[in-house]
Formats: sequence, structure tokens, C-alpha cells
Amino acid sequence: MQTYTKLEKVLRVLMYAFIAFVTLVTVYPFWYVMIYALSDSTAALAGKVLLWPLQPSLTVFRRLLGLKQLWSSYLNSIYVTGIGTVSAVAMTAMLAYPLSVKRLRGRKFVSMMLFFTMLFNGGMIPNYLLMKELHLLNSRWALILPAMISAYNVLIMRSFFMGIPGELEESASIDGASPFRILVQIILPVSLPALAVQAMFYGVGYWNSYFDCVLYIDDTSLLTLQAFLRTLIQSASADSSNVVDTATNAALSNETIRMGCVAVSVIPVLIVYPMLQKYYVKGLVVGSVKG
Amino acid sequence: MNKEGERGLVLQRKQRMNILKTAIWRDKLLYVMLIPGVLWFILFKYVPMYGVTIAFRNYNIFQGFSNAPWVGFANFEKMFQYPAFWEAFSNTIILSIMKLFCGFPIPILLSLMINEIRNVFTKKFVQTVVLLPNFISWVVVSAILYALFSVNSGAVKSLADLFGYQGKMTNFMQNKGTFRWVLVISDIWKSAGYGTIVYLGVMTSIDPTLYEAAEIDSATWLQKIWHVTLPGMRPSIVILLIFRLGAMLNVGFEQIFVMSNPLVSEVAEVLDTYVYKVGMTNRQYTIAMAASLLKAAIGMVLVFTANYVSNKIEPDSGIM
Repeated sequence: MQTYTKLEKVLRVLMYAFIAFVTLVTVYPFWYVMIYALSDSTAALAGKVLLWPLQPSLTVFRRLLGLKQLWSSYLNSIYVTGIGTVSAVAMTAMLAYPLSVKRLRGRKFVSMMLFFTMLFNGGMIPNYLLMKELHLLNSRWALILPAMISAYNVLIMRSFFMGIPGELEESASIDGASPFRILVQIILPVSLPALAVQAMFYGVGYWNSYFDCVLYIDDTSLLTLQAFLRTLIQSASADSSNVVDTATNAALSNETIRMGCVAVSVIPVLIVYPMLQKYYVKGLVVGSVKG
Repeated sequence: MNKEGERGLVLQRKQRMNILKTAIWRDKLLYVMLIPGVLWFILFKYVPMYGVTIAFRNYNIFQGFSNAPWVGFANFEKMFQYPAFWEAFSNTIILSIMKLFCGFPIPILLSLMINEIRNVFTKKFVQTVVLLPNFISWVVVSAILYALFSVNSGAVKSLADLFGYQGKMTNFMQNKGTFRWVLVISDIWKSAGYGTIVYLGVMTSIDPTLYEAAEIDSATWLQKIWHVTLPGMRPSIVILLIFRLGAMLNVGFEQIFVMSNPLVSEVAEVLDTYVYKVGMTNRQYTIAMAASLLKAAIGMVLVFTANYVSNKIEPDSGIM
């Protein structure tokens, strides 16, 4: 059993206090969004909302139901994230598998080619000009394609595949199975945790990115949720007047509506995150082990 | 060399070629699998890399890429004459140093603390909480901060009122003196959890017998941290530091782009936002590309230097 010196006892108390403080500071902003959105608009604007919702009601969410742009951008985000994540994971696995086969000639060269993109990239301007040349501006593919493969993820996946015992593959290739079949029927089923991590990396990336939208999309009907939220923030300083909602006759400040939108965009993350967190933590650790 | 030997060499080379050919032919399907991914990297990573040459050309969008004449460093010389560039440059340096010094040690400290939590449930809970902000976008963070710091209704203002500072609050988001700290602290808030979880994972791989040995030597709690835990984390700290140094000038474009506003642009304009403004708003592609390339070049120098130094101090500790 560990015993502590007097100094250490004091330090441990301070440590627990600090951890409690960090936890509080991390959670409070999320809590604030929720109580702000649920509170009466006038009370919120007066700065009275601090710890719990005042005169709680779901007015803002009812109002948001009628906000067409919110839901079209929501659908866009789901579309981009869904298609993007599935194709990203497929492409990553397909690229990582051959690179994990030790006998393959030239795999070092291809790995170096991927690694180099982690050190240097063309930057915003050439990327924009490329998308323009490809006629992908104002297309959802402009949000999906450029973010499809990350060299970092391929290298993580590769080292995961390399850790799979070779006998599994060998017996299959003696039976004359093609590499495609080996990947799909043998490698992928034993790599599900790693695939989940990859899906999460890519999924979070797609869901949260907004700048590609700023750069490549002008058509407001193609905005993703984060890009739409950004337009709301930009109008934040412009006005702070109350809008009277005709349906409910309740006065709602723009700030409350904004917080409602933020809540609606954060809630899916809050629901999905605890379920996948276990895998995510594993993936981070795999990635940090040098290989 | 005599004839015999020469013939032998030729034969050897032929043999090697044949072995190579059969090896490639045997794995042809594996190469087929590589094709889509490699093509993607060429199109979306290497073609834009070639595109950086517009920094050295007199490019305009109408005449096309290959017709653009080379102009050497003329674009750079022009850029160096703009005060706005130097403002962005120095803001980038200031912010990157602030973020490095404040941001880098925090995950190490946090992971050391969380590792010491005895109760398994509490430990899991704290881990889950600190990683949470990593999953929301900068847009959301920015929206929340604007609400929290609002001088009329924000929670920060209400808190200040409670402590008797009525009416003395300024909006931290719109104040030149505080905006950089808002950037630094909100960056820590959002991304410290990531590093913390990585370090905690590294700690689980430290050999437990080392702790037992330390206990037999009647080491105190702090001595164990100093002599066992920290040395165990060292290789990972070095690797993360190299990556961090290499990416030092990436001071958080997505963050600054969404959080800054005209009132603070004097301190918030960094190279990345400068590239956007000059390139995408003013459509001066060549100047924007020059700024962007300069930044990338400095980044490369930083990462190679850091890697070299860490290999010098401790062989095989770098990333390359």
C-alpha cells in the first residue's frame, strides 16, 4: 500500500481539486447551451441564466422545426458524413492492406509517398484551383473527395494489419483466395475495432468541418450544418432584437435561437460519443505507438 | 575486370530482374488494390504540391497554368513590402509560441493527475469528460464563447456581477488585449483531452515491475512519478513534441477564422487567414501562394531540425 508524506497528502488534495475544476470547466459550456436554449428568452437576455433553466420551455425547439435551412443543412451534413465516412474507411483499408504485406516490392516507396504528405501540402490556393479545374465547386463531392484519405490513418491501419498473425492469410492464399477476398473475408472481420476507430476519426472530421464549405460552396442550399451555424454566428453582432414567433406568440431572441441550433447540432455527438469512446481511446493509443 | 566476371555480373542482374518480375507478377492483384488510393494521393495531394509553383510565376486565372511565365522570387519580394504580411507573420509567431508553451505541458500534467485517481469509475468519467470537447467543431465552440462572454447576458458577466464587478466587464472576444488568450485557452479546452488520452495509454504500457521495485526501495509517491512514470512517457513526449514543433505555425486556422472579428483582426490576423484574405477575397493568388509556401517551408525546416536534434540527444528517438 502506498503511503504518502505530508507534502504529498497536500498535493493530492490539490490534485483532486484541480481535476474537479477541469471537469467543471469542460462540462459547463455544454450545460450552458442547454439551459440557455431551454430558458425563457427574456430572462436569458437579461443574463439571469447561470446554473439552471429559468421558466423552462421547449418553445425554441418548436420554432426550430420551422427553420427550413437548419434541416436542409442537417441533411447535407448527414449525406456528406455518411458517404464520406464509408468511402474513406473503404479506401483506407484497401490502401493499407497491400502496404502491410511485407513481401510486396515498392511498399516502402508508397509509404514514404504517403508520409511526405503529412509533412508538406499544397495549401488552400492550389486546392481551390484544383477543385475549380475539376468543376467540383458547388458540389457535395467537393466536401467529400479532398478529405477522403488521411495518410496518418492509412499508416495506423497498416500497422494494425501488420499485427494480425500471418497464418490466417497464408492458409487462405494456399486455398487460392485472391487478395480482395482475403481482405474482405479474413482481415476485415478481425479488424472491426480498428475499423470503428477509423470510421470515428473520419466521421467526426466530416461532421465538424466547415471550412471546405466556405471555400468550395456558394449555393446556400448545399451548406452543411456547421457552415450554416457559422452564418448564424456572423449575424450575431449584427442584431440582438427579439423576433416574435407567430405560431407560438412567444418572443425569442436570436441568441436563444442560436443556442437552440447549437444544441441541436451537439446532441447527436453527445449521444454517439460515449458509445464509441472506448474504441476511440484504443485508436489513439495505437496511433501513438511508434512503428 | 575480366570477361568472365563481367558475364557473371550480367547474368546476376538478369536473374535479379527475373526474380523481381515474378515477384511483381505474383502480387499483381495487390498492386491493383493500391491503384485507387495512390491515384487519389497523386490527384489531391501531389497535383496541388505542383500547384505551389504559382508562387514563382506570373499567374492569372484566364491564361491558365502552363502558360504562366516564371518570375523567380518577384512575388515574394512584393509580399515582403506589404505591412499586412509582416503583421500576420509576427502574429503567427507570437500565437504559436503562446500555444506551444501553454498548450504542450497541460496534457502531460493532466494525464499524470488522472492516472493517480484511485476510483476506477471516477477515472473513466474524467477521461470521458476531458476528451468530449475534441468532438465538437470550432463553429460550435465559437458560438458558445460568444454567448458566454456576451457583456449583456453572458454567464461570465453574471459571475463578474456576483463578485462585485458590475459593468466593468469587457467582451473578451472583442478586446485586443484578451483575444489571444481566448484563442490559447479555448484551444487548450478543446484539444488537451486528446493528448491526455494518448499519454494515459502510454502509461498503461509501463512495466508494473518497475513500480514494485521502486516500492521495495521505499520510494515515495512523487519519487515514483519522477523516476518511473515520467521516464516511461519520455519517448512519446518527444515524438509529440516533434510533431508539435513541425506544426507550430499552424496556429489553428479553423479556430481563428470563425472566432475573429474586425475589432481584433489586428492581433488575430495570422499567415493562414492572410492567405485566405489575399487569395480568396482579393484573388491575388500568387501573393497568397507565396505566403503559404513560406509558411510550409518554415514548417519543414522546423520538423527536420527537431527530428535531428532529438536523434542527436537520444539515438532513434525521432520520427524519421
